[in-house]
Amino acid sequence: MTNIVVLVKQVPDTYSERKLAETDHTLDRESADAVLDEINERAVEEALKIKEAGEGEVTVLCVGPDRATDAIRKALSMGADKAIHVSDEALHGSDILATAKVIAAAIGKVEGVDLVIAGNESSDGGAGAVPALLAELLGMPQLTYAHHVSVEGSAIKVDRETADEGITHLEANLPAVVSVTEKINEPRYPSFKGIMAAKKKPVETLTVADLGLDAGEVGLDNAWSTVSEAAPKPPRTAGEKVEDDGDGGTKIAEYLVGQKLI
Amino acid sequence: MNNFTETEERQALRKAVYDFGSKYGHEYYLKIAREGGHTNELWDEAGKLGYMGVAVPEEYDGGGGGIGDLAAVCEELCAAGTPLLLMVVSPAICGTVIARYGTEEQKQHWLPRFATGEVRMAFAITEPDAGSNSHKITTTARQDGDDWVLNGQKVFISGVDEAEAVLVVGRTEDAKTGKLKPALFIVPTDAPGFEAQDIPMDIVSADKQFTLFFDNVRLPANALVGESTDTALLQLFAGLNPERIMGAAFSLGLARLALNKATEYAKTRNVWGAPIGSHQGIAHPLAQIKVEIELAKLMTQKAAALYEAGDDMGAGEAANMAKYAAAEAAVHAVDQAVHTHGGNGLATEYGLGAMIAAVRVGRIAPVSREMILNFVAQHSLDLPKSY
Ligand SMILES: Cc1cc2nc3c(=O)[nH]c(=O)nc-3n(C[C@H](O)[C@H](O)[C@H](O)COP(=O)(O)OP(=O)(O)OC[C@H]3O[C@@H](n4cnc5c(N)ncnc54)[C@H](O)[C@@H]3O)c2cc1C
Ligand SMILES: Cc1cc2nc3c(=O)[nH]c(=O)nc-3n(C[C@H](O)[C@H](O)[C@H](O)COP(=O)(O)OP(=O)(O)OC[C@H]3O[C@@H](n4cnc5c(N)ncnc54)[C@H](O)[C@@H]3O)c2cc1C
Repeated sequence: MTNIVVLVKQVPDTYSERKLAETDHTLDRESADAVLDEINERAVEEALKIKEAGEGEVTVLCVGPDRATDAIRKALSMGADKAIHVSDEALHGSDILATAKVIAAAIGKVEGVDLVIAGNESSDGGAGAVPALLAELLGMPQLTYAHHVSVEGSAIKVDRETADEGITHLEANLPAVVSVTEKINEPRYPSFKGIMAAKKKPVETLTVADLGLDAGEVGLDNAWSTVSEAAPKPPRTAGEKVEDDGDGGTKIAEYLVGQKLI
Repeated sequence: MNNFTETEERQALRKAVYDFGSKYGHEYYLKIAREGGHTNELWDEAGKLGYMGVAVPEEYDGGGGGIGDLAAVCEELCAAGTPLLLMVVSPAICGTVIARYGTEEQKQHWLPRFATGEVRMAFAITEPDAGSNSHKITTTARQDGDDWVLNGQKVFISGVDEAEAVLVVGRTEDAKTGKLKPALFIVPTDAPGFEAQDIPMDIVSADKQFTLFFDNVRLPANALVGESTDTALLQLFAGLNPERIMGAAFSLGLARLALNKATEYAKTRNVWGAPIGSHQGIAHPLAQIKVEIELAKLMTQKAAALYEAGDDMGAGEAANMAKYAAAEAAVHAVDQAVHTHGGNGLATEYGLGAMIAAVRVGRIAPVSREMILNFVAQHSLDLPKSY
């Protein structure tokens, strides 16, 4: 029986316009539709596959505001068994260090965890650091950028794929932390029965205090980095049009050289 | 008054089905339809996810939901550009009739496979001389020992080539009075003497219509739906509300698809230095259609809620009005979407020309606009009948 915790984050839909709040430069979560991060759907899918191949239990863990219940429900409707939702005003503006601490403490509430599965990076914060920090805090091996995962007894094998290094085969003993990439799988759609069952599945809601953490360790005021200024991305310019008078190829090459791309 | 917001589960279902349909999308649908194919993989995958069986009772492995859930699935698939016409017929009409009036044996045999979408069943009532006037049905079953022998003809029957069986509305002699009265039969599409000829139609659709011929089709006793012909009229009525609610949902989804395409285009197409959507000549008709869609949707939800609450009569009026309003909204939406696109409205790439005939179906079938207005005139307004 593999006891799996999947880390899921609610993020603004990448199709909607995303903004930072004017006052404290944190993500303006009200301005965009909030969804379960797609990479986390894949993390859930991978957990469910491992569970279905043998025996197991899948707990989803989410640190986020009240409305993150929608993202949790989506993961439960896909087939996860239960959820932990850490929600606390004090968490607003937490940095990756604080987020990882909170997640580590929440994982401590689940008995006998064999495997933690995360996305390799979120589509909003995009730090790509939580899984590594978490492995460090939990004292577990980290197998990141997985595009293939297999659990064999008490061992886990991962094909790690990055643009720089190509494919590396990793192996570790459980318990371990795995982060998955976009390529790992195609997440399932929630079935009707899954949707109907989701509401009845247990969701444990915890505060920072419930985790035995001090509010002084988290939140915007305790972040290691501060955002002093933010400006919206300038609108895309029209681009350059090149007429092809038989020398189109040369012109493209010149352009790329000009951009220092070749 | 009930809540105007759908339950969390219904909303989650809509979202899941819309996302699922979008994975295939309108282009996929049109390509298959233009090649004369069927969207089997879409149907089968939706079936495995339980979307086709949402309204099948739980004891037969279905979702245990209601017609409102099934209508939501139907609408969202249409809105995503992947309409499944047989949803109106197979799970909604045939599934309901069998679940409410079938024998236990029939339920055991069919319902678990309706639940998974594994089986599709066509529904045949229309005849060449009995369309709006179903009293003129002549397809007749004669009893021969324990068997039934069926003779007659049906027309415009959808999806027969995709179906394992057809639920046929016929007539039979009453044993006591000798009068002809309705009887419903489940006829396998491979039964000897059964023939289906496809009708060339100018609709871009992945589901075809057929003329059916029954030439001494011999059926076992258990082909008759229910224990006897006594419940046949009730069976017919049981199918009506689901059929209308689903017809409405189908039109609503197509209306949303067309309106979406139109608003997207109106936001980006720029002719005089501003998006065309900023001109009220373009914006107002689209806004009117949005109003029509929302009103029709509300009436569809009301019909489903009344039906699920067991109020068949109340649901009848709402379902008819919903079906009427949704069909009109869809016709208006496509008309305006084509116009908003200018020349592109008729270019194959935009897929709107293909929808012109498709949304007209909602005005004709399963019951025409005029027959609904007749119903409202007579039942809601108590006006005298002319026919
Ligand atoms: C200017 C600025 C303002 C910010 N303001 C806020 C704010 O107001 N509120 C806020 O919540 N965040 C805020 N953040 C983001 C927050 O600091 C990070 O998103 C968070 O620490 C996690 O980092 P990441 O998303 O980059 O993680 P990554 O390391 O990119 O994430 C990898 C994986 O870790 C897991 N994971 C990450 N975060 C969570 C989580 N919260 N719960 C469960 N699993 C998770 C997921 O599996 C994810 O796929 C802000 C960030 C910036 C730059
Ligand atoms: C794409 C498509 C799919 C179909 N699928 C099926 C199917 O799966 N199964 C099935 O059984 N049938 C199916 N039908 C048939 C459909 O239900 C009939 O076409 C419909 O009921 C109308 O009948 P009709 O064609 O005989 O028209 P008619 O009854 O001949 O009507 C012609 C016109 O006269 C009007 N009219 C008739 N009587 C009156 C009156 N009293 N007052 C005012 N106006 C009147 C009608 O509104 C209509 O405009 C399908 C039809 C189409 C187009």
